[in-house]
Amino acid sequence: MKRWIATTPWASRGLILILMALTLLPFLSMLSAALAPSGTYPSGLEWPEAPAWGNFARAWEVANMGALLWSSTLIVLGTVPAAVLFATMAGFGLARLTAGRGRWFYLVFVLGLTLPFEAVITPLYYEILALGLLNTRLAIILPLIGLFMPFSVYWMRAHFLNVPADLSEAAQLDGARRWQEFLLVQVPLARPAIMSLSILLFLWTWNQFLLPVVLVQDPDRRTMAGALGAFQGQWGTDIPLLCAGSLIILAPTVILFLIFQRQFVAALLQVAVKG
Amino acid sequence: MAGLTLRDVRKTYGGAEVIRGVDLEIAEGEFTVFVGPSGCGKSTLLRMIAGLEEISDGEIEIGGEVVNDVEARDRGVAMVFQSYALYPHMTVAENMGFGLRLAKVPKPERAKAVEEAARILQMEHLLDRRPAQLSGGQRQRVAIGRAITRQPEVFLFDEPLSNLDAALRMDMRMELAALHRDLKATMIYVTHDQVEAMTLADRIVVLDKGVVQQVGSPLDLYDRPVNVFVAGFIGSPRMNLIEVRVDRADAAGAVVSGADLAERAIPGLRVEAGETLTLGIRPHALRAVPDGPLRGTVDLIERLGHETVAGLRLPGGAQVTAALGGRTPLKIGEPATLDFDDEELHVFGPDGEAIRFRD
Ligand SMILES: Nc1ncnc2c1ncn2[C@@H]1O[C@H](COP(=O)(O)OP(=O)(O)OP(=O)(O)O)[C@@H](O)[C@H]1O
Ligand SMILES: [Mg+2]
Repeated sequence: MKRWIATTPWASRGLILILMALTLLPFLSMLSAALAPSGTYPSGLEWPEAPAWGNFARAWEVANMGALLWSSTLIVLGTVPAAVLFATMAGFGLARLTAGRGRWFYLVFVLGLTLPFEAVITPLYYEILALGLLNTRLAIILPLIGLFMPFSVYWMRAHFLNVPADLSEAAQLDGARRWQEFLLVQVPLARPAIMSLSILLFLWTWNQFLLPVVLVQDPDRRTMAGALGAFQGQWGTDIPLLCAGSLIILAPTVILFLIFQRQFVAALLQVAVKG
Repeated sequence: MAGLTLRDVRKTYGGAEVIRGVDLEIAEGEFTVFVGPSGCGKSTLLRMIAGLEEISDGEIEIGGEVVNDVEARDRGVAMVFQSYALYPHMTVAENMGFGLRLAKVPKPERAKAVEEAARILQMEHLLDRRPAQLSGGQRQRVAIGRAITRQPEVFLFDEPLSNLDAALRMDMRMELAALHRDLKATMIYVTHDQVEAMTLADRIVVLDKGVVQQVGSPLDLYDRPVNVFVAGFIGSPRMNLIEVRVDRADAAGAVVSGADLAERAIPGLRVEAGETLTLGIRPHALRAVPDGPLRGTVDLIERLGHETVAGLRLPGGAQVTAALGGRTPLKIGEPATLDFDDEELHVFGPDGEAIRFRD
């Protein structure tokens, strides 16, 4: 790090500082708004004279964050591992075990990539209704797993396509059955791809707003992002509380980011490169 | 250990036939080398034996059993890949023991087999490393070790040394030869390097365009190539090929001449007058003499110490390479004359097939 600073020209250093400021500005303005007295309308980026730290505690209470945190965690645990598992198996199958006609399967998944989330929300509502799952967490988990499949399968297939065929052949000659090859050779090698996918799916699940709001009436069974609705009371929106709540909701992703920084960056870079 | 039989084996990709009816018998314990130019189908044939490519037509037998419909993992073959194909996430020991682990061999036995293979290949000190921490030669050793631990019926090698530098390649070549002596296993080895083929093989199979050109011991192929292709492919430097016409022919032999060759009698050769032939003369069969049938201008001299490789441009345009004594006083740009013995002469008919005229 020291070296980097010492050798980077002033111009690029300045540019990076400006970029950092631009990125942080919205967060800072959220923080300053969150610290304004509850019920007021804070005007832009302005440090309040008496920071109302209590807003965070109130936001936590108003939105029932404790329950939501638990609910979000359950939804993530229900969605991400299952989606990653299915995608890994399907990606391997589509990359390695299908030829000729099997390619149509893949096209179906790719087609799914072009489908906007919002377009399926109404049919989804009736589907969930028919299944009798409305107002349960499964109403979020099951559709999410399905909606994540096109991207996830595409992602894992791209990874498996890049694993040299030699390795697979060596495993076969070593006596491995397909599932042994998959579990003992392919999955360990796919760990970076699986890790990145898990992180992306976690982010998308955590930040899921539309699905919970439409399919789950009980706010305590939604995701944390869905909790933002709680701040739109009958008497209008309480901006400081909304900001405080948003910051609380952001916190887990920020903490996760700090832990898995490297994988995060790798994952996002891959999205950028692969499209 | 087992022998192999290939019966009219064919492989088509789309409409293109790349293996066109190969018949081959490989004895138990034999070291067989498939050799041929790039794209001739060596790897394809090897991979069909391994079970990695479907057999379009014909039959492959391993140890007396037809294996056309047997999965690769059940054929009892082990393969060493050109790319090594080591599992990057496993240590050397795990790589080598993977096959035994899949076969549910108990751990202590597995460890013993791995150590034994490591001892044979002198790489006990590498067992705990990952493939990424090894040099190319060491990786190749691990790949061979992985094959050894499984004690397969047949070893298959697809150009295993082509990613190594020349010196290492020679070392590994000698080690492979020693390995074959020790294990006495059936081995099939693919290469396009004819020196590897000559030095390692009990028997060489020369392939061209998906067809077996000749099968024989290294010296067999060197002394009695059946056609122009094999003649040109086996031996280094390459055999010189010179076009001639038959001037006269009778029961005693024939007299030939051409743009590049002064009149020369070939006793015992039975051909028709007027036919076009190709004469083949190995560079090492040529001698520099004051007066001989081959006259040309020296345009290449490579002094290697123990010998001098000279290139001669003949009047008809042909280029002839001669491997001469180490101190030959030839100079570039000067004329020279070469001669050869009748015993060293190969004759090929207009169709490229060898015409036998001795013995
Ligand atoms: N999957 C494939 N589809 C179509 N053609 C193929 C396929 N694999 C190989 N071929 C063709 O089959 C022929 C033989 O290929 P092969 O790999 O056996 O050659 P080789 O003798 O091993 O050559 P090299 O020395 O370059 O490795 C080539 O002409 C190649 O283009
Ligand atoms: Mg090849």
